[in-house]
Amino acid sequence: MTKKFYRRNLTRRDFLKVAGGTLAAAAGAKILPGYLGKNVLSPVSVGVANAQDPPPDLYFAGTDSWISLPPVPGIPPFFPDDAAPPGFNTYMFGFRNVTGMSKAQIEAQKGKAQIPSPLFWLNQYDPNTQANEFQIKLTNLGLVMRPDLFDHHSIHFHGLRHIIPFFDGEPHASVTVPIGREFTYVYRVREPGTYMYHCHVEDVEHVHLGMTGLVFVRPAQDGTPFVYSGNGRTYTRFAYNDGDGSTGFDREFALLMTEVWAEAHWDFSHVQLPEWSEYKPEFFLLNGRAYPDTLAPNGSVDPFNPVRDANGDLIPTPGYEHLQYQPLSSLITCNEGDRVLLRFANLGFTQQNMTLAGIKMGIVGKDATPLRGRDGTDQSYQTNSVFMAAGESYDGIFTAPPYQGPGPYDTYLLYNRVYNHSSNQGPSGFGGQTTEVRVYPATTLGPQLIPNT
Amino acid sequence: MRTLIFKKMRWVLTLLVGLVLFSAASAINTFQVADAQAPPSEGIVCTASPDSTFTLTTKSGYIGTPDDNVIFMWGYSEGTAPFQHPGPVLCVNEGDTVTVILHNTLAEDVSITFPGQEDVLADGEPAQPQFDTGGNLTSFTNVAPANGGSITYSFVASRPGTFLYKSGTDPLKQVRMGLFGALIVQPPDGPNGERYANDRPDSQYNPDTEFMMLLSEIDPFLNQAVERGDPFDMNNYKPRYWLMNGRGFPDTIAPNFASWLPSQPYGSLPRVHPFNDTVAPTDPAYNPLMSLTRYLNVGSEDIPIHPHSKSALIITRDGYPLAGPAGEDFAHEQFSLPAAPGQTWDGLFNWYDTENYDPVTNPIPVTIPNMQNLAFGQLFSGSPYLGDEGSLPVGHTSLTQCGEYYQISHVHALQKITSWGAPASGPITFLRIDPPLPNNCP
Repeated sequence: MTKKFYRRNLTRRDFLKVAGGTLAAAAGAKILPGYLGKNVLSPVSVGVANAQDPPPDLYFAGTDSWISLPPVPGIPPFFPDDAAPPGFNTYMFGFRNVTGMSKAQIEAQKGKAQIPSPLFWLNQYDPNTQANEFQIKLTNLGLVMRPDLFDHHSIHFHGLRHIIPFFDGEPHASVTVPIGREFTYVYRVREPGTYMYHCHVEDVEHVHLGMTGLVFVRPAQDGTPFVYSGNGRTYTRFAYNDGDGSTGFDREFALLMTEVWAEAHWDFSHVQLPEWSEYKPEFFLLNGRAYPDTLAPNGSVDPFNPVRDANGDLIPTPGYEHLQYQPLSSLITCNEGDRVLLRFANLGFTQQNMTLAGIKMGIVGKDATPLRGRDGTDQSYQTNSVFMAAGESYDGIFTAPPYQGPGPYDTYLLYNRVYNHSSNQGPSGFGGQTTEVRVYPATTLGPQLIPNT
Repeated sequence: MRTLIFKKMRWVLTLLVGLVLFSAASAINTFQVADAQAPPSEGIVCTASPDSTFTLTTKSGYIGTPDDNVIFMWGYSEGTAPFQHPGPVLCVNEGDTVTVILHNTLAEDVSITFPGQEDVLADGEPAQPQFDTGGNLTSFTNVAPANGGSITYSFVASRPGTFLYKSGTDPLKQVRMGLFGALIVQPPDGPNGERYANDRPDSQYNPDTEFMMLLSEIDPFLNQAVERGDPFDMNNYKPRYWLMNGRGFPDTIAPNFASWLPSQPYGSLPRVHPFNDTVAPTDPAYNPLMSLTRYLNVGSEDIPIHPHSKSALIITRDGYPLAGPAGEDFAHEQFSLPAAPGQTWDGLFNWYDTENYDPVTNPIPVTIPNMQNLAFGQLFSGSPYLGDEGSLPVGHTSLTQCGEYYQISHVHALQKITSWGAPASGPITFLRIDPPLPNNCP
């Protein structure tokens, strides 16, 4: 606590006073040897206080990392970041999925957060059988680039109703996890739908810096067949407990929207502080990538069966080495006639308007709530665009139109109609929150086993 | 990277004054519109009048912000009361003829518009936009002339709901300077005192737990220019502060009329008991009725509020129930409430204790780590359990009183929960959840 109060007593102007010193510190940080993979500070020890508890469903570690955003344009001096290791250009905070790793592997993940934070999902809790309780353990590995900071971390399951403060992660009213410690969050989610999660410590900073992920909750109705009257197909996977198959789907894709204000990211890698009321993001990300990288293949995206090398590190896809720490693709693939569920969540600070050109989409849920009144009135609607403010989620379902050819697939664009959010500020005008929907002939693609694949 | 400047003294004062006000106003839960008793320390402070006639006088004064800045403001005050920010919450009943007499002490024309009200009269004639001799729009409505002018507005409050009132004259400047307030139109109570938010029976709520979040913004350079009589180029307008009920956190959770916030009378701390539908669904101690929050955005940008641990069931927008032509229910639960500029929402909420965790009979399913290995906030009791004051490491300060829970509500455009760069301030408040009655909370 001493450290904490010491830091609380610092003022913004104190930071300005020591700006000269921080420049020296930044220079020092740059010459730290091999900070990707080797810890300069003593390795943190992961506690064993919870050894008697059963293993959690997932185990995350909070730390920092470097990612790659499209190189156009330069935003001197902030982008590309001159402190970045080769192949990367943007400094991030984030979580790393360390489920099942050895202690040595976990410690080796310091500085290797994945962006966005791991996509994961769980099943609706059954209060009668107490089935489907979900536990996530969190540890804090510290920050390679910022040995001067002792930031705590937490997991806030954004939108989760009825959670007790202990498991909410909000630092004023709850507990947070200092470096080298661990804490297990318990979730019993009774409302299915699309949610998000993020670190809530110093939230404007840790959220913007990248400690953000999408999580969704499968309904209890899953596994029970319902015939959807719209196409006569039988479904066993649904967005909600609809009772009529109206939210049944063949494939689902999670799309987390975040933003990067290059100046803020550079500030954190250079021991500076941004002035948040000047907030002006330049990069707009889908699942942690800007177009055209949004189309690149997935890395390891199944959170429950993660793939990694002997050190625990993410394995880059050949040809996409720059996306090693951005493993989640936003490419949407489907067969003609498939019902495709798009799970949108906005953890940027501004509004987005995701537009699906050429295919209408039905909005069936918002904020993990089916679009139905208390009396069951259907409030779902057809649209080509989903406008969402910060912290909102939407569930849209579209039916893939007939394949027309002649290529292997038909391409439709899904992009942010706020044009400067679907560009990389470069000359082409295309970038940011843009991706493709590729519609293949019937039966080309096998059943989808993992979301976003 | 610094956690804010937490002004520990202010927290302690918050608590002490809260205690005093609480014991003084233990009748808080019987608060009614037009109640002559001491104002409640939490909840909406209504300014009511038997004949729904109000006298508002423009005043100038100063407010404090969480970074210890002091900002020059304009405001509407009731009668001869000193400057306050925001203006008084005018509470009237559906069907009332509301009369607002505006006295203008400022050196420029001022007016009041009542968005959502129809057939507003100004000095007995239909209120009209004002144009100069060249045909240029000068005011949305009839004005009280500068330096002592007056005007009387009247209208019939025909529709229950939550509304704004604000200056219609040079609103770009005057509204941003603080010339605004909330207007609440209450529908008739039910035969047994049932309280409703709108004309639908499914809008019933507990009148003891009715709250308001009025969101606004400030560019201090505009206010400084107005104070000095300097020109201000609105192209340079850039808010640096965002406020809730005229205060930034942590002042938002200080009681109504906190003595150290003399011109910012309205707190934002909701206080409820948990609803528990498995233990005692009809026991009043378990708060069987929903609570109501009235959201208003008087700023220039949309501002999404995110309540933790509960969604808001949005039942009314701009004073219109969310319903279809045949009475179908269009209400919707949301965990992010993006109020657009000038918009109002009414949201029902409750805090359900779904798990009923209990240290003896139903412990949380994981081992609680040694508290030395965690960090805590000052609103954490030291225990996961509602009603339990746990032990915390020596040197840690906890402001909880009886094992109550706190759950934050904050704007999720996170760059706006800052005060000119100071993070974790601005439009943030907490929901206080007391243990079920009887409890030992003061």
